[in-house]
Amino acid sequence: MKAPLPHPPLAQRMQIRDCWALIRHLFEARNTLVDFQWKLGMAVSSDTCRSLKYPYVAVMLKVADHSGQVKTKCFEMTIPQFQNFYRQFKEIAAVIETV
Amino acid sequence: MAAGELEGSKPLNGLLNALAQDTFHGHPGITEELLRSQLYPEVPPEEFRPFLAKMRGILKSIASADMDFNQLEAFLTAQTKKQGGITSDQAAVISKFWKSHKTKIRESLMNQSRWNSGLRGLSWRVDGKSQSRHSAQIHTPVAIIELELGKYGQCDLPFSSSVVVFQKSEFLCLEFDEVKVNQILKTLSEVEESISTLISQPN
Repeated sequence: MKAPLPHPPLAQRMQIRDCWALIRHLFEARNTLVDFQWKLGMAVSSDTCRSLKYPYVAVMLKVADHSGQVKTKCFEMTIPQFQNFYRQFKEIAAVIETV
Repeated sequence: MAAGELEGSKPLNGLLNALAQDTFHGHPGITEELLRSQLYPEVPPEEFRPFLAKMRGILKSIASADMDFNQLEAFLTAQTKKQGGITSDQAAVISKFWKSHKTKIRESLMNQSRWNSGLRGLSWRVDGKSQSRHSAQIHTPVAIIELELGKYGQCDLPFSSSVVVFQKSEFLCLEFDEVKVNQILKTLSEVEESISTLISQPN
């Protein structure tokens, strides 16, 4: 019967964990936010709908990737979508404060 | 038997549902022949075609004007008085259909008119502090937020004037520290203030 493999010492296990965190960090393509611009618009009419009448929030993000290259991402939200977006950020702030 | 004489509300309700799916929600494969054979099998194709066009036109007019219920009643009453218009029973079915489906159709129309990407989803997690033997902290708390952005595109199919399809999503992963999260929160509160000001203004 083979002897069980020795359990690595604590310091070595922590080094291994650091490596995995680094690898995970490198492989998850995360960007950092450089700028957040917004505008509130009102869609009035279009070729498919003469009476649109809905407000929307248009957002332009400038994000930098790990190499420092900056790119622009634009998107729109309806008001209910924005309110959910805002609510989620409040939740994030509440959680990050306690960590 | 003419399509206009076939009532029971079920076939017309089914037809309106199918027209909404085709015209507004981008559901492919809804052909004239399919609708006729499923809903009005006793109506000859040459009679069904103008009937279908009439119903499509009425539905598009109602949706385009985003009619409230008063406008809807006035519009449908006028349609019943027209030469080659609709019957009172058909008007009742159309009225009931619009009341049930207005919100969803309107949402599709809003999506059709949005040419930028929309926010399809948001997920997040917060990573905590960690330590190693060589440094007290190698991470401070960070929030990782994944935004799912997607665009509506349009393409033409023979039966429809246009079909809306949803294109593949793009995922954007962002990292924020606590300072950045609070900066964004401040910005978002400014947006909310603007929205409140807009909504409180008279039309």
